[in-house]
Amino acid sequence: MPPQVQDSLWLLLLLAPAALTGLCVLWGFRPQALVGALLWRFRWTNLTFVLLIAISVGIGVGLIAQERGLRKGTARAADKFDLIVSAPGSEITMMFAAVYLQPSDVPLLGGEAFDEIAGHDSVDLAAPIAFGDSYGESPVVGTTAQFVAHLAGDLTEGRMFATTTEAIAGSSVDLALGASFEPAHGVGDAAEAEAHAGQDLTIVGRMPPTGSPWDRAILVPVESVWEVHGLMNGHGPERRDTIGPPFDPDYFPGTPAILVRAEALWANYALRSEFTRDDMMAFFPGAVLAQLHGLMGDVRQMMSVMAVLTQVLVTAGVLTGLIVLARLFARRLALLRALGAPGRFVFAVVWAYAAVLITLGALAGLAIGWVAVRVISKAVTARTDILVSATLDWPEFHLIAAFVSFTVLLALLPAFMAMSRHIITDLRA
Amino acid sequence: MTMTLRVEDLAVRAPNGRILVTCGRFSAAPGETIGLRGPSGAGKSTFLYALAGLQPGMTGHVDWNGTDLTPLGDGDRARFRRENIGLIFQDFLLFEELSAFGNATLATAFNKAAKRRSIRDTAKSFLAKLGVPADRRTVDSFSGGERQRTGIARALAHDPAIILADEPTASLDRKTADALIEDLVTLARAEAKTLIAVSHDPHLLERMDRVIEIADGRLETEASPA
Repeated sequence: MPPQVQDSLWLLLLLAPAALTGLCVLWGFRPQALVGALLWRFRWTNLTFVLLIAISVGIGVGLIAQERGLRKGTARAADKFDLIVSAPGSEITMMFAAVYLQPSDVPLLGGEAFDEIAGHDSVDLAAPIAFGDSYGESPVVGTTAQFVAHLAGDLTEGRMFATTTEAIAGSSVDLALGASFEPAHGVGDAAEAEAHAGQDLTIVGRMPPTGSPWDRAILVPVESVWEVHGLMNGHGPERRDTIGPPFDPDYFPGTPAILVRAEALWANYALRSEFTRDDMMAFFPGAVLAQLHGLMGDVRQMMSVMAVLTQVLVTAGVLTGLIVLARLFARRLALLRALGAPGRFVFAVVWAYAAVLITLGALAGLAIGWVAVRVISKAVTARTDILVSATLDWPEFHLIAAFVSFTVLLALLPAFMAMSRHIITDLRA
Repeated sequence: MTMTLRVEDLAVRAPNGRILVTCGRFSAAPGETIGLRGPSGAGKSTFLYALAGLQPGMTGHVDWNGTDLTPLGDGDRARFRRENIGLIFQDFLLFEELSAFGNATLATAFNKAAKRRSIRDTAKSFLAKLGVPADRRTVDSFSGGERQRTGIARALAHDPAIILADEPTASLDRKTADALIEDLVTLARAEAKTLIAVSHDPHLLERMDRVIEIADGRLETEASPA
């Protein structure tokens, strides 16, 4: 059965208790006009109830959708990073540094290590990723033209860097083609703006959006990074003016990380085993991320439970309010019974009244959740440069359906209480 | 359909057991109009509501055409009211957010589909007879007289044989009250309804076929019209 059909059936199944309850309670009656009159009479109170339910539902579905969006966004951002090799240390720290460009001091891998990796039969691409400099909010990362092509495909404008003074801008870097800049040593507040004075770089090309922090990065030839730090540039005297691989191990100053792509998917696993040893470590960022998501899975479940609990608590509060409110229109309900309405009809009126509030609240909550997800996604994307495109999906619809079914069943309680009231006492109230 | 009322040894008790109203014997013929008079707190409304089967804690007999309401459960009493009794209240008890027609046809919400059309037709006819605006205006903009006429139309819409009115003119000015009395009594007689009205209003009581006094929770002898 296609997933879409399964999800639809699951939704209907979750809504079934509400629908069946409605059918049983309302069968043979036409309480719409009376319910409408009661809703209108206490409209501001009702609006408050609806908003309370909507906000709790909105927060619930918003949180769950956002968490999923963030998970997908981070996974997508790591998509191009098949295998990372670095000096031994924390895989998580290295993943944040190399994939998400979060500044971090990490040890370097030497030329022999790079040469061994790049020269391996199974390796299709080995690119140094040398970070640590910046321009404004943009990290300046040294790498190779092959990595730029691997990361972003064809450039949207300009051309690939050809000298150590040329750079490629990420899609959201605020530098035009031809603009020159002077990189600072370090990142953020600790950056030393004058450290690389006179080492101007010129933007010659721009990458398309990748939905990752690399969109705000400026990519330069790795030789450029080495040179501005006064190091050898990875090539012997006979190739001093060239950029890109092959690099001479004797002239290779070191790199914090190397992106490796194998010729075949299966080979990645062999490479990871081979390059995980005392002097280096190899890891799949996707696997590290999956571990992180796995660790966060408990938090996610906790969040879901909290979201549902919040909704149920708010609804319980609203239903308690309804019991109080039902006392306000007890005289009208008593009138109905005096006119000969069966107790079940009064039950139906109060239940339908509560069900309308719950349903409206849930629908408004869906709208609030939808808006919240969009706003938070934009904010997270702007803050992290990880494209978070969270949307409401079946799990949220299922959550709301379960919430509606559960709470309309709870609404039987105020309905029952209203039905059990003393007619004459209420008529004379 | 017409209804004969026969009340015997009726006692209505409060939940604490205190006797609220007693009545040894009382009857009403079909189409008869009866006023119930007495000081405040004497039990007039309690007796009226007992006749409608609304009072819990009833013993004795309240027999309408062979149907004794006293032993019936809530559901059967409600069904009896739904089919046979029209109630009119002192303060109208209307749904302010509904139109006169919406109020007069309240019973369509809980009556069987087969009866809904006749309720709507009858309500429309009575609203017209009583001169109540039958447009979409809600009754919150109505005068007291228009509201009470709406209440009468509601009481008559399901064509009951019995009309029980609790101080129907108490919230109205004299002129409006007189006009309403005229409408109510005329309609009751024209439609051969049994009308029993609790009232302090001598204008209403003098239009009744007979007036019964209630004092200290006891139905007294038949009194002369005020």
